[in-house]
Parts: sequence; structure tokens; C-alpha cells
Amino acid sequence: MNKKNTISASDEIISHLKVLAKEKEVVRRRLAVTAKKLAVTAKKLAAIAEEKELVRRKLAATAREKEVVRRELAVTADKLAVTAEQLAATAREKESARRRKLAATAEKLAATAEELAATAREKESVRRKLAVTAAKLAVTAEKLAVTAEKLAATAEKLAATAKEKESVRRKLAVTAEKLAATAEEKELVRRKLAVIAGELALTAKEKEVVRRKLAVTAAKLKRSYETLEKKVLERTKSLEMARAKEEAILLSIGDGLLATDEKGNIIFINKTAEKLLGKKSKEVVKKKFSDVIPLEDEKGALIPLEKHPVNMVLVTGATTAALPTAYYKRKDEKRFPMAVMATPVILNGKVIGTIKVFRDITYEREIDKAKTEFVSLASHQLRTPLSTVNWYAEMLLAGDVGELNEKQKKYLDEVYRSNQRMVELVNALLDVASLELGTFVIEPELTDICKLTKHAIREQKPQIDAKKIRFSFSCGKSVSRIQADPKLLRMVIQNILSNAVKYTPEGGKIGFSITVADKKNVLMKISDTGYGIPKNQQDKIFTKLFRADNVRDKDTDGTGLGLYIVRSIVENSGGKVWFKSLGGEENKGTTFFVTLPLKGKEKTVKVVRINK
Amino acid sequence: MTKKNTDGRTILVIEDERPLLEAINAKLVKNGFDVIAARSVEQAFDAKLGKNGSKVMTIQSIEEALNYIESLERVDAVWLDHHLLGEENGLDFVKKFKANGGRWNKIPVFVVSNAASPKTVQSYIRAGVSTYYVKSDHRLDKIVKDIAFFLDRQRS
Repeated sequence: MNKKNTISASDEIISHLKVLAKEKEVVRRRLAVTAKKLAVTAKKLAAIAEEKELVRRKLAATAREKEVVRRELAVTADKLAVTAEQLAATAREKESARRRKLAATAEKLAATAEELAATAREKESVRRKLAVTAAKLAVTAEKLAVTAEKLAATAEKLAATAKEKESVRRKLAVTAEKLAATAEEKELVRRKLAVIAGELALTAKEKEVVRRKLAVTAAKLKRSYETLEKKVLERTKSLEMARAKEEAILLSIGDGLLATDEKGNIIFINKTAEKLLGKKSKEVVKKKFSDVIPLEDEKGALIPLEKHPVNMVLVTGATTAALPTAYYKRKDEKRFPMAVMATPVILNGKVIGTIKVFRDITYEREIDKAKTEFVSLASHQLRTPLSTVNWYAEMLLAGDVGELNEKQKKYLDEVYRSNQRMVELVNALLDVASLELGTFVIEPELTDICKLTKHAIREQKPQIDAKKIRFSFSCGKSVSRIQADPKLLRMVIQNILSNAVKYTPEGGKIGFSITVADKKNVLMKISDTGYGIPKNQQDKIFTKLFRADNVRDKDTDGTGLGLYIVRSIVENSGGKVWFKSLGGEENKGTTFFVTLPLKGKEKTVKVVRINK
Repeated sequence: MTKKNTDGRTILVIEDERPLLEAINAKLVKNGFDVIAARSVEQAFDAKLGKNGSKVMTIQSIEEALNYIESLERVDAVWLDHHLLGEENGLDFVKKFKANGGRWNKIPVFVVSNAASPKTVQSYIRAGVSTYYVKSDHRLDKIVKDIAFFLDRQRS
């Protein structure tokens, strides 16, 4: 649109300039005409003046000639008079007839003279008149001369003016030329502009096309908008429905649900929470969580605020579970064990509140108790017959009831060793069961890991010696006591160590070292020159009940549970376990690495559950 | 079933599993112990049992049992299982035995049981038993040797 404006404006200027130039040309021409006319007039005036002068001069000449003629006439008249007297005298002397003729002639002559005189007089008057006229003419001529002079001056002025005008004209002409040039340039510009205008026109056309398309699009958009609006309305409706549904869902969740703001004031509880707490929503909303759900421990002592999961979430911003032994006492004094999981509500990286999910776990407690009882019962029931077989076989082999022959001894030895394996398997299974049930409560204490390891090595000494294994052990001086559960740590060490002993052939080497890995972790490294772990089975080695093919070939004892137990314990203690093995190449050995945090696991959940 | 030994160490064995009780008895006797065997807390204190070994006997109450122990001429050690016939278990016995202030309550108690849960073991250790053996993890001769060694050391 602006381009268009500019173009029309420049067009206007061009046309205006053209008009101006034309006007100036007209003025110039008029001035030229006027100058010419003035010049003509001046010439005519000069010519008139000249003619008048000529007339004056002719008149003057005529007057002079008349004067001459008059004088000649006068002379002639005198001569005639003389002649006449002579003639009269002659006539008087000479004849009478002729006298009359002469008289007549005289008379005639007199008349003629008189006439001539009259004529002369007339001529004189004419002359005088002519003189007057001449004078007048002279005056007039003078005047005319003055006028002529004036006219000449005027003419000069006019000429000057004309010159000026001419110069002006020339200037104007120059200007006009310039203007013309400018006009040409302008014309060029105009043409360019015209081209641009043409292009713009094209563009405009295109724009028009686009505009039309846009118009079509706009129409479509309008329709879409209308549809959208409709949809928005529908969506809003459905969202409202969804919100209502969500609220209904929240309200009807089977677990107690309680939400607080960032200060711990309750903003929402659902129906189950109402039921569990024995309090109505309106009684508790806006109240401090600790006033509404005080937790007790097993003995009925109030759990302090700083250990309350909601408070811990507000302080740490981390998901927190209540102690496994949290109880809630209702108004009706009924107490029930409560599982509490409090999580932070985080918006834009800030804790803006907490969600606490809780439930009555009386039933789970009973089941857990039953499971625990089952495990301990099973442990006893399974071990008792194994112990019986063990001891009787042992006594038979010891010859308590008489010497056995070699074959009997050999057979009984198979029975005894298989039974030993069964015992190991049962022990491992029970460990796994305990770990998976979470009945293994981690009770970390400052544990001397070096001493613990030495003890475990001592237990394995008979097997190590039997296989003539060269065993080396080193415990770094800087390894201090670590925060760990000693019985679980012992299980880890025993399992890895017994594996190394089991899977290293006679005369092999085992190295066990404990060092401080970094500021936070202790590193155990157990390397052997054993059978190694086949490459294609290395990823399964920590799997429950898995045993690598090469060791099964070797027919060595093993339950397939040891490393599973090791990993479960290590990872639940915040550590890591991994290994390096040259893929089952004969006797290239395996090295196991275990790291454990010096300060134990940073725990939020106290009961350990093993991932199945 | 009993075999007198010049050494004359008497051991009270409380074990509910008959085949195990017999095996223990045989091994102990073979190693020169006098054995008083019982399958329940009550039996352990059966006055009729005396020093004559592993006969099954009954006794009515813990008080009677404690009285019986008091009446024994000699007892050097108790071999105790955790699971026993009847309501009460080995731990109940240890607690009562240690608490009654009788003349034999200073003798060592060796728990030999398959109840291997750490909690149970700790309870026994706290109650004052000398050693806790997990049956299936130990050879019989090893346990007997251990007890003999313990008693020898105590004597010297």
C-alpha cells in the first residue's frame, strides 16, 4: 500500500512540475511576444518620428522654396511692375488699343498679381500655417523625439527587460531543460516506478490471489473456529466431567488419601481416609496434619514430629514411608497398624504440598506374620530330617556301629554329600525367602569388615586346604569399620568366597582384598583362577537358581542362589556388585567386585524388600 | 543306653525328635557322657528318669522340672533343642532355668537346633546360653567334641 502511495505522489509531483514548466513556457512566450510587440511599436514609433521629421523637413524645404518662390515672385512682381510701368509707359507711349489690352492685361495682371498676392498671402498663411504646423510639428516632433527617446528608453528598458526576460527565459529554458531533464529522469524514475508499479501490481495481484486464498482460509478458519468453539465447549464439558470423575476417583480410592499444602495444612482427604481416621473431611481440612494423624509406635508412644513422614517430605522433599511399626489410634481408641507413604507434590521444582497415602495394614501384618512363621517353621521342618540323615550317615561313616567296607563307605559318602548339598540348598532358599519376605530387617551397625572377612575365610579353611589353594588376603590399613548389618555382610562375603573356593580347581589361586575405593565406598575384590563364567551366560549369573553350564559339568556343589542373595543384599545396602571373567576359557578365572557405602544406606524406607 | 565313664560328666539332653535324640544319646554315650534324655521340658525333669538315660518320661509342671534338676546328684551341661513337644520351647526352659537361682543354673546350656533365625539365636544368646548350633550345619561329632572341650576347659 505504501509503494502505491509513493508512486501516485511522485506522479503528482511530475505532473505538477510539467504544468509548472508549461506555464513558465507560456509566460516566456508571452514575454517574448510582448517584447517583440514592444520592439515593433518602438520601431513604428521611430519610423513615425522619422516620417514626421521628413515631413517637417519637407515642409521646411517647401517653406523655403515658397519663400524663394515668393521672393522670386516678389522680384518678378517688381520686375513685372517695372515691366508693367515700362509697358504702361510703352503702352502709353505706344498705343491706345493696346493700352486697353495692356490695361486689361494689366488689370489681369493686377488680378493675377492680386491673385498671386492672394495666393502668396494664402501661401504665406499657408506658410505661416505651415510654419505653425511646422512649429507644431517640430514641437510634436520634439515631443515625438522625446516620446521616441522615451520610447527608445522604454524600448531599451524593454529590450533590457526583454534581455532579462530573455536571460530569465533562458534560465527558464535551462530550468525548463533541467526540468525537462529532471522530468526525463522523473520519467525514467516514473517508468521504473511504473515497472515497479507493474511489479507491485503483479505482486498486488498475487497478493490479491493470496488475499483471496486467505479469505478462503479465513472462511475455513472461521468455520474451524466455530467447530473448535463447539469442540471446546464439548471438551470443557467433558473436562468438567473428567474433573468430577477424577474427584470422584480421588474420593473413592480404597486407600486413605490426604493432601496438605506446603505448610502441612490439610487441604483434602478422601472417603477412605475419613473412615480410617474416624474424622470427617470438614473437621480436618485446614488443620495441621500432625494434629489430625498423630502416629504411635508399637508401644503406643507418640512418634515425634520430625519422624512423621509428612514432615520428612516437607523437610527433605523426598518420598518417605513411615516406620514399619506406625500405629494410628482412632477416637474410639481402636488402634491399627498404618502403612504410610508420603510423597511431595512438586510444581516447577518446588514442593507445594504433600500427598499421603495410608491404609490399615492389620491384614497384611497378619499375612506377614504367617509368612514369617511359615519360613521359620519350614526351616525347622526341612532341616530336621536332613539333620537326621546327616548325623546317622556321619556315625555310620565314622564306624560308630561297626566298620564299613569300601563300597559301603563310598555309597554312604554319596548320600552324605548329597544331603549336605540339600542342606545348603535349604539354607539358601530360606535366606532368599527371608530376604524376599522382608523379614530380614537391616540392622546396620559399625562393623569391622576385615575381621568379619577373616572369620569367613577361617570357616572355609578346610575346603581351601583340601584343594591346596594358595590363598592371599589383604585388608587396607585405611579400611575402617563400616556401617553395615554384620549378618548380611557375612552372607555376602561367605557366598562370594565359597564360590571362589568351589569353582577353583585344585592348586589354584584365590586373592581377596579389601580397600577403600573412594571417600564413600569400600571395595572388595575376590579373584580366582577358576573355571570362569561362560560369556553367553554372564548376563544370567545373578539370576535366581541359575548355574552356569561349565560348573554344572564339573559336578561341583552349588544352589544357584548365592549370587542372587549377594546381589540382593548388596544392592539393598546401596552398593554394587559386578565381575570380570574371561568367558569360560579354562582356568582363566573370575574376579568379583563388591562396593559398599562406608556410611551404609541412606534409608527412607526401613523395611527392605527385595525385587523379585 | 548309659555307659558309665570314669569322667562322669552328666548331660541333660532335651530333644523332641526321637531319631535325633537317639543319635545324640548314642554319640554322647560313645564319648563317655552320662546322658539324661528328654523330649519335652516336662520330661527333662521327670524324677524317675534319674541317670538312666533316654527313657521317655513325663512331668507335670515346670516347677516339678526345676525341682527335679535340683534333686539331681550331678549335671554338667544341658543339650537343648528349640522346638519341643508341648506348649513351651527351649527358650522358655532356658529362661526359667536361669531364673530359678537353683544350684545347677550356672551349668552351660548348648542349644542345638534347626531354628536358625537370627532373632531366635540372639534371644538364646541373650538368655545366657553358651553356644548355639544349627543342627543341619554341624556334624554331630563336632558338637560333642566342642562340648567336651568346653567342659574340660571349665574344669581346669
